[in-house]
Amino acid sequence: MTDSEIIAAVNAIFVEQFELDPAELGPDRKIFDDLGLDSLDIVDLMVALQRKFGIPLRQNEEIRKIVTLGDVYNFFIRLEASRRATEG
Amino acid sequence: MSLRLVWLNAGIYGSLGLVTVLFLVVFTIPFALLYWSLLLLRRDPAPWFRRLIYLYGRTVLAVAVRPFLRVRYLPLAPTPTGGAVLVFNHRSASDAFLLAALKRAQLVQTVNFWPYRLPLFGFFARHAGYLDSTRLSPDELTSRLETLLQQNVAVAAFPEGTRSGSRQLNQFHSAIFRAAQRCGAPLYPGCIVGNEQLPDRRFRFRCRGGVIRLRLLPPVPPEEVASLTPFVLKQRTRERIKQAITQLEGAVDV
Repeated sequence: MTDSEIIAAVNAIFVEQFELDPAELGPDRKIFDDLGLDSLDIVDLMVALQRKFGIPLRQNEEIRKIVTLGDVYNFFIRLEASRRATEG
Repeated sequence: MSLRLVWLNAGIYGSLGLVTVLFLVVFTIPFALLYWSLLLLRRDPAPWFRRLIYLYGRTVLAVAVRPFLRVRYLPLAPTPTGGAVLVFNHRSASDAFLLAALKRAQLVQTVNFWPYRLPLFGFFARHAGYLDSTRLSPDELTSRLETLLQQNVAVAAFPEGTRSGSRQLNQFHSAIFRAAQRCGAPLYPGCIVGNEQLPDRRFRFRCRGGVIRLRLLPPVPPEEVASLTPFVLKQRTRERIKQAITQLEGAVDV
């Protein structure tokens, strides 16, 4: 997946799962303060992201540091890059 | 601090203290006797604690608050008589007292950990079955809510989690919406405006007009409660409350 495909896939989850307006989504948007998700909603988000990307996230420590939507994009972009490096 | 604010703070806290002391003097012995009788009869005393809290709240509003502030209850729906979940915005500590205006004796509130541990109020809150939202897991909250609904008790919650102390409506937590969905509970939004400084977050009364308005909105349609995701349900309910706040803040008293 390219970076823009990853960003589109993450945005699609926010639109489908949380019915957020695509115009609201951007890398600077804070997941808690701006988008209104709480810790329980984050669990739903993790499930949807796991399903979409096929990667187990529960044990991942880096996921706890996520604050903005941009952090989510970068998290999956890095995962994809490391996956490609491992395969290559 | 101006002379008016000194008078307001001294007056409200003074009359609140006086009403509380008089209330305790009048009710302690009869209620203690009732409490022990209920324990001997193996009956649950919680409904009686809720009745006493309701009576105290009504007395505080009628006697201690009325000389200083006006409280106007402007419902758009009748107060539910059975089990239901009521969600309100949360600007001030006075919200807990103002819910007495709903005229619903069998009501418990979800509260933060600190009011739950107050020496006097905390004692009554715990015995009345109030819910400490900071200590209950989602499953425990659902289980407690289910029990209360079966007993026809209404549960009032403040999904912002803490007092905003301003006119801002903070983001909502979803726990109470998830529990309401799992229990199939009727969900009533409501709002309270005009009390953001009564008292403020540091418990100082700052009078700005002195009119508090409280409104209960029609319930969220049950099919909406059942079919939406918890996130969407909480966001739509928040939007309903936000619109009601805008309407009430633009209201003119006649």
